[in-house]
Parts: sequence; structure tokens; C-alpha cells
Amino acid sequence: MQGPSIEFKNVNLNLGNTQILEDVSFSISPTTIHCIIGSNGGGKTSLIRCMLGQMPHSGDIKIKWGENRTIGYVPQQLEIDKTLPVSVVDFLTMATQRRPAFLGQSKQQAQKISDLLEEFGLTSKRNDKLGSLSGGERQRVVFAQAMVPTPALLVLDEPMTGLDVAGGEVILAAVRKFASDGGTVVWINHDIAQVNKVADKLTYVNKTIVLDGAPLEVLQTGVANKLFPTLSFNESSPDGDSAETTDIEVEGE
Amino acid sequence: MNALYDAIRTLFVDAAYEGTINFMFSYEFVVNGFLCALIVGPLLGAMGTMVVIKRMAFFSQAVGNAALTGVAIGVILGESYTAPYVSMFSFCILFGLLLNFTRNRTKMSSDTLIGVFLSISLAVGATALLFVSAKVNTHILDTVMFGSILTVNNLDINVLLVTALITAAVALPLYNQMLLASLNPNLAHVRGVNVHFLEYVFVLLITILTVACVKIVGAVLVEALLLIPAAAARNLNTSIRGFVVWSVIFSTFSCVFGVYAPMAYDLPIPSGGAIVLTAAVIFFATLLIRMVMPRFREAAF
Repeated sequence: MQGPSIEFKNVNLNLGNTQILEDVSFSISPTTIHCIIGSNGGGKTSLIRCMLGQMPHSGDIKIKWGENRTIGYVPQQLEIDKTLPVSVVDFLTMATQRRPAFLGQSKQQAQKISDLLEEFGLTSKRNDKLGSLSGGERQRVVFAQAMVPTPALLVLDEPMTGLDVAGGEVILAAVRKFASDGGTVVWINHDIAQVNKVADKLTYVNKTIVLDGAPLEVLQTGVANKLFPTLSFNESSPDGDSAETTDIEVEGE
Repeated sequence: MNALYDAIRTLFVDAAYEGTINFMFSYEFVVNGFLCALIVGPLLGAMGTMVVIKRMAFFSQAVGNAALTGVAIGVILGESYTAPYVSMFSFCILFGLLLNFTRNRTKMSSDTLIGVFLSISLAVGATALLFVSAKVNTHILDTVMFGSILTVNNLDINVLLVTALITAAVALPLYNQMLLASLNPNLAHVRGVNVHFLEYVFVLLITILTVACVKIVGAVLVEALLLIPAAAARNLNTSIRGFVVWSVIFSTFSCVFGVYAPMAYDLPIPSGGAIVLTAAVIFFATLLIRMVMPRFREAAF
């Protein structure tokens, strides 16, 4: 699998009289984990929605696809009516097959869904109502749907919201595996320490591009120090085998 | 198709005279009523699940009331007052499309917009009725308001059957997409679903379904039959399969029993009312079951 590369060139977005994005230009390399960070209301989700063709904008967003043009998408949160009679399996079925979910799944689809549920630790929840799951469990379900059919581009809009540590690790492992298999990941993420651990590249957006580059380079600049005053830098690797890597910690964590 | 209906009616009438089935089936209009009940029941039951999920119950109520205006316009334009289908379909489809278009453009909440359109439609209907009353006895509009399943003819059955086939042919392949779009439009869009187009498709389906059922259940009551069986099924189920299957069963039973009971037990109740009352009894029974039986409580949370 070869994930796509994406190029944003002079992207502008106005909603009414408010300018949401101004002259945004940067690129996302194939087979990388690219994190987009920024303050609330800074235009991160709008930027992603422009990329997905959901918001009218000016400027160019070019996606260079390989053979696979599938996008997996994990929204920030799946707000649903808790009393809705839609089980975990129903949700995965309706998202991934054409046959009406109330008629059940084909054998092939049933196997795929079972595998997914196992991978994301949801086998015991398969027949539970989606609305009865905790926020973290539901987020894992939504993540699981994004993996079928196998995407080339994975777009994550703060998927860790509401996840506990164990749930977060499951998703983190899946994202890393996806990128190592050649997929491209675009990830809106607020957790700067996590960004430093997983991102190949980060872009800080606040209406326009404030920072763009590899985390270790970008986060040591003066601008980054102002944006993230709680960050500290340790000149040692977590495993202690090399002094060349810089580990970033957030005070209080 | 008329030959087929005749054959079915003859079959029932002969069986009734032979004493194999209840004697009420010796009347052709009763057989017509049951045929309609067997088409309307599963159709409204299945589509009702989507209406409940998409929270569009108020919309079908508005379309039902718009049908009244459609009838009035039809009579003014010279259509038969017993079956002014052209005017009803035209006005209601226009009503539904305009409502959805306005909702998309203004981003106003559905209930506000539907309330506004419903009021306008009723105002136009009330005005048009003044002119209609000069042409026909306005009591004929009772049929539109509350249905008259026992006066249906071959044309009504044909309209119903064609509507049922169109609805099934369109809604079945799009069911999952509509469901996903109602849960999360952005996610559905990324998965290649044309969310706005599907909204129009759904509005059109509910509109033609409501109009086709007006004579059977009535403009005022058709919304109830779209809503109550699905709501009852929702009380007991945690999966989409159970939800749809039980909604279809409840709706079909309500239709059949609502036609059968008034005749079998000599009850002075119109068929439309009996159908909806049956559905209401089922709804309260499911509520009771959910409260009393622990295994169904999960459906409520």
C-alpha cells in the first residue's frame, strides 16, 4: 500500500464575514503520520473538512493517490441518541456494506467485522447498543469502521477524546501499524507530548500556518516555547541508549 | 392488475360463502381493505424505523396536512373528489421539496421550519376549502382526514402498490447510507454518501408514501402509523434487525386487526382510528414490558 501525498497551496476559507483560514500552504508526505495542532477555533477541523471536500474554499488542495483511493475517517465524537437500537455490529455493518444492516452480513463481511472487533478489543461488546458504550469504547468502534475497507489515507479528528490509557494504546498501535504498512495519516491532535512521540511531522494552524516541520526541530523554536510554555526538553532518549534524541515532556504529566 | 385483484377477491368471496373463512370476506370491499392493510402495514412499519431515527415524524404529519390542501386544490381544478391523486402528489411533493430546500439553505431547525410550512399549508387549505364547499359536500374531506379503507377501489390499490414498489426499490439499497448519514453526515460523506441528495430522496419517499396512504389511514393518522409501531419496536430492541422486524410486525398487525376488529365485533369505530388505536395499545404494552422485564430494560438506556 502506498498512501497519498497532499499539498495545500494558498488555501483560504471564509464563513460569512469571518476568515477561518488564511493563505495556508504546506504539504503532507506519503506514508507519514502528520499531526495538525492548534488552539481551539484555529481552523484545524475546517482545514481537514476542506481537504475532504466538505467546505467550499479557495486555493488548491492536491491529493496524489496511488492505486488505493480509500479514505478512513474518524470524527471527533459520534454524538448519537443513546436509546437508538443500533448495536456495535449494526454500526460496522451499515458503514461497510451495501446490503441493509437489518438483513445481516455476508459471510465474508461477518468475518471482517469479527476480526476488527477482536483487534480493537470489542468482541464482548459486539451486540451492545452503540449508545450504551462509554465514550472511549464508542470511539474505538468508530476507529474500527475507518479501517474497512483498508484505507490509503487515515484522517483522525482528535480520536483520543474520552479514551482511557488502554483504549488510547490500542488506537495508537493501530495508527503506527497503518503508517508502517505505507498509509498516510493526517491527525488532529491536542496532546503535544503524544504528537512528539508519534508524529513524523507537525503543523500548527491558527488561521494560518504558525509552525511546520519535524516535531523535534519545530518544538525547540522560540515560537514553540511561547505556544507551549509548559514543555521541557530532556537531552536523553527514553531508553537511554543515545543522547542524540530529545524527549519532550509536559509539566504535570 | 385488475384481473389479479378480481381473482383474489373471488377466491376470498367463494371461501367465505363456503364457510371456510369469516363471512365478512364475502364483501369485496372488505377484501380490498385487507389487501391494502397487508401492503400498508409492512411498508409503514419499515419506513417508520427510518422516520424515528431521523426524527422526521413531524414532517410526515405536515405532509399529511398538506394532502388536505392538495385535495382542495384538486377539486377546484376539476379532479375527481374521491381520488384527486394528481393534485395531492403534486402539491405534497412540491411542499416536501421546498421544505427540505429551505432547511438546507437556512440551517434552521427542522421543527421550526416544518411548523412554519405546516401553518402556511393549512392556511392555503382552509382558504381553498371555501371554494370547494361550493362544489362538493365538504364532509367528503372526512375521508381524507381520517381515511376510509373500506371505500378503496382498484385505482387506490394500484397507487398503493406502485408506491410500495418504488419505496422498496429505492429505500432498500440506500438504507445503510441513509442510516449512516443520519448518525454522522461527515462520516457518511467521506464514505462516498451524497448526504444532501439522500435527504431529498428520503423526503420524496415519505411524501409519496404519506399521500398514497391517505385514503387508507387518513391524513391525520398516517403519521401515527409511521411513528407508533417503530417507537414500540424501539422499546424492546437493541439491534437494528429487531427494530425493523418488530416494527413491521406491529404495523402489519395494527393494520389487519384495525380493519378486522370493527367489523368482527360490530364496533362503531372508523378503520383509520381502529388501526392507530391498535398500534397505541401495542406501544403501551411494550412500555410496560420494558419496565417490568429486566432483559428489555437495556433497550431504554
